[in-house]
Amino acid sequence: MFYQTKLRSITLIAALIFLACYASFGSYFAREIVAEIIILAILAISLDLCAGFGGMVSLCHGAIMGVAAYAFAIMSAKLGWPLFPSALIGLLAAVVFSGLVGWVTARTNGIFFIMATLAFGQMAYTFFFKSRWLGGDDGMGGISRFDLSAIGLETNDSLVFTYLGLVTLLGAYGLTAMVMRSGFGRTLSGIHVNEDRMKALGVNTAAHRAKAMAFSGLIAGLAGLIAAQHTLYISPELLIWTTSGEALIVVILGGLGTLVGPVIGAILLVLMKHEISSYTDYWHAFIGLVLIFTVLAGGRGVFGQMEYWFNHMTKPRHDPDHHQTTSQLRGGDHA
Amino acid sequence: MDLSFWILQFLNAMQYSMLLFLLSIGLTVIFGLLHFVNLAHASLYMMGAYIGISVAAMTGSFWAAFFLAPVIVTLIGAVLYFTLIDRMRTAGPMNQVLVTFGLIFVFLDLVRIGWGDIALGLDGPQSLSGTTHFLGVDYPSYRLFIIALGLGVMAVMWVVLARTQIGAMIRASVENTNMAAALGINVSRLFFLVFCFGCALAGLAGVAAAPILSATTTMGITILIPTLVVVVIGGLGSLEGAIAGSVIIGFMETFGAVIIPSFSAVLTYALLAAVLIWRPQGLIPARG
Repeated sequence: MFYQTKLRSITLIAALIFLACYASFGSYFAREIVAEIIILAILAISLDLCAGFGGMVSLCHGAIMGVAAYAFAIMSAKLGWPLFPSALIGLLAAVVFSGLVGWVTARTNGIFFIMATLAFGQMAYTFFFKSRWLGGDDGMGGISRFDLSAIGLETNDSLVFTYLGLVTLLGAYGLTAMVMRSGFGRTLSGIHVNEDRMKALGVNTAAHRAKAMAFSGLIAGLAGLIAAQHTLYISPELLIWTTSGEALIVVILGGLGTLVGPVIGAILLVLMKHEISSYTDYWHAFIGLVLIFTVLAGGRGVFGQMEYWFNHMTKPRHDPDHHQTTSQLRGGDHA
Repeated sequence: MDLSFWILQFLNAMQYSMLLFLLSIGLTVIFGLLHFVNLAHASLYMMGAYIGISVAAMTGSFWAAFFLAPVIVTLIGAVLYFTLIDRMRTAGPMNQVLVTFGLIFVFLDLVRIGWGDIALGLDGPQSLSGTTHFLGVDYPSYRLFIIALGLGVMAVMWVVLARTQIGAMIRASVENTNMAAALGINVSRLFFLVFCFGCALAGLAGVAAAPILSATTTMGITILIPTLVVVVIGGLGSLEGAIAGSVIIGFMETFGAVIIPSFSAVLTYALLAAVLIWRPQGLIPARG
């Protein structure tokens, strides 16, 4: 179950302030890095909602993000629609795709769910990769950013764009946290912990999981819109399953089922990637080893571990997340 | 589009199916017995190809590579088993996916450090360099050899699983691990043997594929998805499922590319979706 604790609020605000400072005082390159962090963080929040609270470890979240980006680009760049309606279509496409995947896979569990989502993600990837109309593997350009000059914001300025991205990140977090604190989110956690019990309580668990996937698609769609507007260019690379794998790395690195963890994980992963690649070309191996170490160390992730220590220091008897931590360690396998 | 064209396509499909079979059988048996999803299986396949190339370069003989590469890959697999796989067995599918995903990254860079980013080729054996007249067409002998190799492994696996004591032990452990252990089967040793055998087959598939596909750093990730599709369609943990799955996917991708090129890539995934909706446990699920 999700609780917006003080520690989480403070960590989130500190992370956002850090990113804002990094973008403000850094060079153009620093802002590019922050934008990359924002996209990955929103995607990871969306995945955390599924994997951390619903036990649905999806490997198609990159594809969901890509579907939103492509739908937005098709409407705005190919069909000439105005940007805001195109963005809504993009989000809608992500919700529909994600909801469909959730609906089809609702009866599968554990490893079958992972593989099924992997396959659907790759299906979308192959579709865009092969589509000549959409540029195939060359991708698609001609995308433009929102025109916010009416409220005095120049989105083509990289700093303004980064700030708007941070606001979107905060919004995505707030929306997800709100939903996770609602009855809908509690039911989702309940299904994760004991699906039979929720069925006995009269919950249509399959439909509920599909709805959770659809909502998660909305958040992933936001990441897709930012990704498309950030580089003004999209390619099928967004949808490939390793993008989803990277989002999963971020979630586990930061802390599964914490919502703040994914933000921390995204900051760590992107900074590590850029720092290491300035020394050596072989950053993949390093990330791989960090990932293996994180899982072997208990799988709580950086923020999750911090929270665990903090809770044990301050309130040894009352630990609201204790139950969740144990269910995480089982990796959500109820098959 | 005469008959010989279709025979050629049939042989191509067979050859691709057999390659998929060699990979998916290891993955599926490891899952059936250990309940472990090893995404790094495809990395072992890649290691098989690269090690095979190095061995062939050192010894000058394809056959030395063909027999040594699987052995070396098995040793790598054994190291993995004792360092990671064994302790991740009860950790749930998400942690297994994450750890083996990490391994994919590590192997990717190991290959880049050891062999570089350039695609490497491997010459097939002299004796199989020509073509053979078969079913009324001239077909590369080496590809026929791969078909024969796959069918041979299939036959041996079937005999071992259905007719020998160790096969009975494996089947018993797949069905009910605790009961098998209670009956005196050393289950953890069995796990280790099966895992090593799966790794050997992955290495074999890698070195066998190297003369046809040439070794690249992305070859593992490329073959991983079709292999997983085969395993899921067939039914995780089932020998018959792996055979059926690899033949279905091999033929569908080959003939799909000929008959409906624009739609063929999505076809595989559509089939997978259909199977997951109507038979989530796969076409021929393993018992237990």
